[in-house]
Amino acid sequence: MRGRTPWLRRIGVLFIVLWSLVPIYWVLNISLQTDAQMSAKPAHYVPPTPSLNNYLSLLTGGGNVPYSIRQSTINIVIECSAATIVTIVLASLAAYSFARMKFRGRNVLFYTVLATMAFPPYITLIPLYRIMTFLGLVNTYTGIVLVYVSGFIPLATWILYNYMLSLPIALEESGQVDGASRMQVLWHVVLPLARPGIVSTAIITFIFGWQQFLFPLVLSSDISTEPLTVVIAALQGKHTVPYTLLSAAGVLAIVVPAVIALALNRYIVSGLLKGSVK
Amino acid sequence: MNIATQSDNPRQLRRRRARRRIDLLPYGLVLPLAIFIVGLALIPAAFTIVQSFFTVQPLNPPTRFSGFDNFRRLFSTDAVISSIGNTGLYIVIGVVLSTVLAIFMAVTLQKNFFGRSILIAIMVLPWALPGVVEGIVWANIWNSNTGLLNSLLTSAHLIDNYQVFLGQHRLLTILAIEIVQVWQITPLSTLLIMASLQNIPNDLFEAAELDGSSPWATFRRITLPLIRPGITIAMVQALIQTLNVFDQPYILNGSATAGSSLTMQTYFISFQNLDFGEGYALSLLMAVATMVISLGVLKLVYRPVEF
Repeated sequence: MRGRTPWLRRIGVLFIVLWSLVPIYWVLNISLQTDAQMSAKPAHYVPPTPSLNNYLSLLTGGGNVPYSIRQSTINIVIECSAATIVTIVLASLAAYSFARMKFRGRNVLFYTVLATMAFPPYITLIPLYRIMTFLGLVNTYTGIVLVYVSGFIPLATWILYNYMLSLPIALEESGQVDGASRMQVLWHVVLPLARPGIVSTAIITFIFGWQQFLFPLVLSSDISTEPLTVVIAALQGKHTVPYTLLSAAGVLAIVVPAVIALALNRYIVSGLLKGSVK
Repeated sequence: MNIATQSDNPRQLRRRRARRRIDLLPYGLVLPLAIFIVGLALIPAAFTIVQSFFTVQPLNPPTRFSGFDNFRRLFSTDAVISSIGNTGLYIVIGVVLSTVLAIFMAVTLQKNFFGRSILIAIMVLPWALPGVVEGIVWANIWNSNTGLLNSLLTSAHLIDNYQVFLGQHRLLTILAIEIVQVWQITPLSTLLIMASLQNIPNDLFEAAELDGSSPWATFRRITLPLIRPGITIAMVQALIQTLNVFDQPYILNGSATAGSSLTMQTYFISFQNLDFGEGYALSLLMAVATMVISLGVLKLVYRPVEF
């Protein structure tokens, strides 16, 4: 809109900044206060005596709450990393096959994969729980990672498929003329060219993993596999953990995705658009 | 949509055929994906469909066919009925609010200006955060004793006493909870609408300006009709998210009926009452509802656009 008055954009810019950042500022603000300070009316809009005590007690303190926060942080990192790696490897292979090879049944399989993206996420929740019970994989990293991969792999395949289709074919052909096998072409030509798409997909997959709550709530039964999200929800539900400490735990849980989202924003935007517009 | 394959020129094809009748490599490459899709998506979905017509209760075996019994029990449970209403409200509030906000943000970010890419990063930020933690973040804002909103309203002398936002009035509770979800889903909607905006040729806006069209008229007559494809996808994704809302009401309202959603009922029925059959039935109904309403939105909002 050429003639749009600049003040409207200024309001828009101000709105975006306040809307996105005020809630995050506020949880940060609470996490730096003491319980007494937090109860003030009206509230302290900046911490009167900023202190990292809440963080220190979570990261170094003894007792049940700090222990479960630390253990569940390890769990969430392991689960998200493993799910991301498996998803990316399997989705890259499949996407290459869909994008560059002809084979009987390709379209049926491809459209089936796309169709599962339209499933409401929780339609498979109860059967997956029962399958994992049957396989003895409830409350194991393996069980959680398998379920994550099954949930994330359709979108990852779709993004990588679109990305590989957009790559120039000429380089691959010259590789084949030089006598390289198709797997060598994939490894030495396609994957290096597709690296930005792979990075996008990996970031999005990792963030989706970090957000999971209902699936791990059902699939893990104790602190040996519970991710950070499940532990934080449990602490909040008990109403015995002070809000300041809970806020500090919340900040710990958003640091990783927030840093990724701010630093690698370009990859996220391009990946999300490759995954949804067609 | 066609899947383009470009690698097979006739000579290579002949050479490969000579070597082996069936080319096994593409099957090998898609096999792991196929195993995941069949084993952990299709079979579970089929399970849900079939077993919703069975009584499946671990504490009351065996599993036995029971026709529409699960569905009948669902519709005679008060908590389920009130959750249907709640979820309807979540959908309407969430889809409308996130779409309107996304159009506003996308138009703000349409033209290039200094700091635009940083602003996009800030805009995307809430999308990346876990719903559970967003619940914690916003609990600090809605809280009736120490919340930011109460504090601001008091400081501005708009209220005399701190108010309770969650758990008392049904509509207010649902609005407060849904705002938290809107915070999470609006960034993706904004990106989708921005992509649509970028497809509009610039000469259209220039022509409108030459003709003396006001900014509002340009927005109504040019921008809005031409971004309908983006708006449609944004509304469908918002619809799927809001219909399945779980994390935010679970954290902000616990199990209280004032804001409980259908996904929460599925969880309670299956994993607290241990009535899997009824849980299957509810999941199945929600899946059907998702598809029907999505198609409805598509029919109502989508118009093909050509430049």
